[in-house]
Amino acid sequence: MKKHTLAIHGGYAPDAETGATAPPIYQTISFAYQTAEELSEVFAGTAPGHVYTRITNPTPYALEQRLTKLEGGVGSLVCSSGMAAITCVVAGLLRTGDHVLSTAGIFGGTVSLFKNTFGRFGVETTFVDAADTEELANNLRKNTKLIFVETIGNPRMDVPDIPAIADLAHQAGIPLVVDSTLTTPILIQPKNWGADIVVHSTSKFINGHGNSIGGAIIDTGNFSWSDGPFEDIRELAKKAGQLAFLAQLRNLIYRDLGCCPAPFNSFLTLTGLETLPGRMDRHCANAQQLAEFLQKHPKVCWVNYPGLPSSPFYARAQKLFDGRGGGLLTFGLGNRNAAFGFINATKLAQNMTNLGDAKTLVLHPASTIFHEFGLDEQKSMGVSEDMVRVSVGIEDFDDIRDDFAQALAQT
Amino acid sequence: MKLSINGKEVETNGSQTVTELLKEQKVKWPDMVSVELNGTILKRETFASTKLTEGDKVEFLYFMGGGCVTN
Ligand SMILES: Cc1ncc(COP(=O)(O)O)c(C=O)c1O
Repeated sequence: MKKHTLAIHGGYAPDAETGATAPPIYQTISFAYQTAEELSEVFAGTAPGHVYTRITNPTPYALEQRLTKLEGGVGSLVCSSGMAAITCVVAGLLRTGDHVLSTAGIFGGTVSLFKNTFGRFGVETTFVDAADTEELANNLRKNTKLIFVETIGNPRMDVPDIPAIADLAHQAGIPLVVDSTLTTPILIQPKNWGADIVVHSTSKFINGHGNSIGGAIIDTGNFSWSDGPFEDIRELAKKAGQLAFLAQLRNLIYRDLGCCPAPFNSFLTLTGLETLPGRMDRHCANAQQLAEFLQKHPKVCWVNYPGLPSSPFYARAQKLFDGRGGGLLTFGLGNRNAAFGFINATKLAQNMTNLGDAKTLVLHPASTIFHEFGLDEQKSMGVSEDMVRVSVGIEDFDDIRDDFAQALAQT
Repeated sequence: MKLSINGKEVETNGSQTVTELLKEQKVKWPDMVSVELNGTILKRETFASTKLTEGDKVEFLYFMGGGCVTN
């Protein structure tokens, strides 16, 4: 099956008992068993079964199966948020004294998670320019246990050379973790470019309607857990094979951290996922047209969108993302006042800290999601005072363009 | 053919491969199962091509109960 079909049919067939075509919401904490023997078999791992929603539940499980199919992976785990997904991956692989090698210019929350939160537990992170694969290689250490990249850095909009970085990781014997939130499985299957683990904030394009926070981890099956530098997972691989990492998360880290999603959120995310392929086509087409419109506008100083030939990442984005540039762009208006003026003048576009919604959203990153970082740090993260970030929605393009034109006229 | 599945002797009904056996045994969550054949963990992509023979020892293992992995 191909992507449009998988998004609708993948991993869930009408419920055998009732025929329900939408995956039912199992709004329960626990699952009862007839006998003590049956429940003990589930705990022993010799029989399948849902036991407790913090570990598994049929509604999130349906979402996991669909995401596994869309990513071409061996299995998935869905989480309460994108941050929970990244937390699980890092906590599942690293120990105190280990090191993360990450690209810079990524989502500020992830930077904070690596630097501040994991920093407290003695895990150090180095952030390197995503454009500079050589510099990434130079910053590999003996204790580096994973490389982390975003397919399109949010908000720096740079596109790392994923296949080259995957080679680098594999030469070092460590996994490459790819946050594909901005691209979704519709623009890229990171598995095909060498990635080992894919993470998503499903809160964004996958849910697509701004109504459910969520995250996902997909094991692509590329990494051989029986050989890696992770002793506990190596041991587990003797029993769990390719599912060793997911088993370690499910039965230890994910279970202990309590990262599970609410079944209702998984239901809404599954509903959103059905239309993801069609929405992504439209997000990309609208973003492309808006980028071209802004680039020609006399009040706009610069536009950063990987779908524009002026982007240094244009050729790579075309290659990796099947000829598309995604649904997010940034542009500059010269100074903070102009950026604020523009945001205040928009009528259709809404001012909020989200992206990937069906609606067009605008944001001033420097004073909001990046306000905790100093000016120098903001600069290295690709954030400037005059920058407006746009998550281009799927409204009629003419309406988006008219709204931007009237707001720019007032700026 | 006779197989040992999770330590129990089972007479199968025509299954020739691991994929067919998963279907025949109505394994409910095939995405969550690891399959061990005669002591070796199988790669998932080989389920369809791995042939079964009389007397094989098959273990289906699940990691969804939340049992501690470290003990
Ligand atoms: C690229 C990226 N990764 C991860 C996250 C975190 O996701 P969540 O808000 O679902 O925790 C975000 C949120 O903006 C994001 O943009």
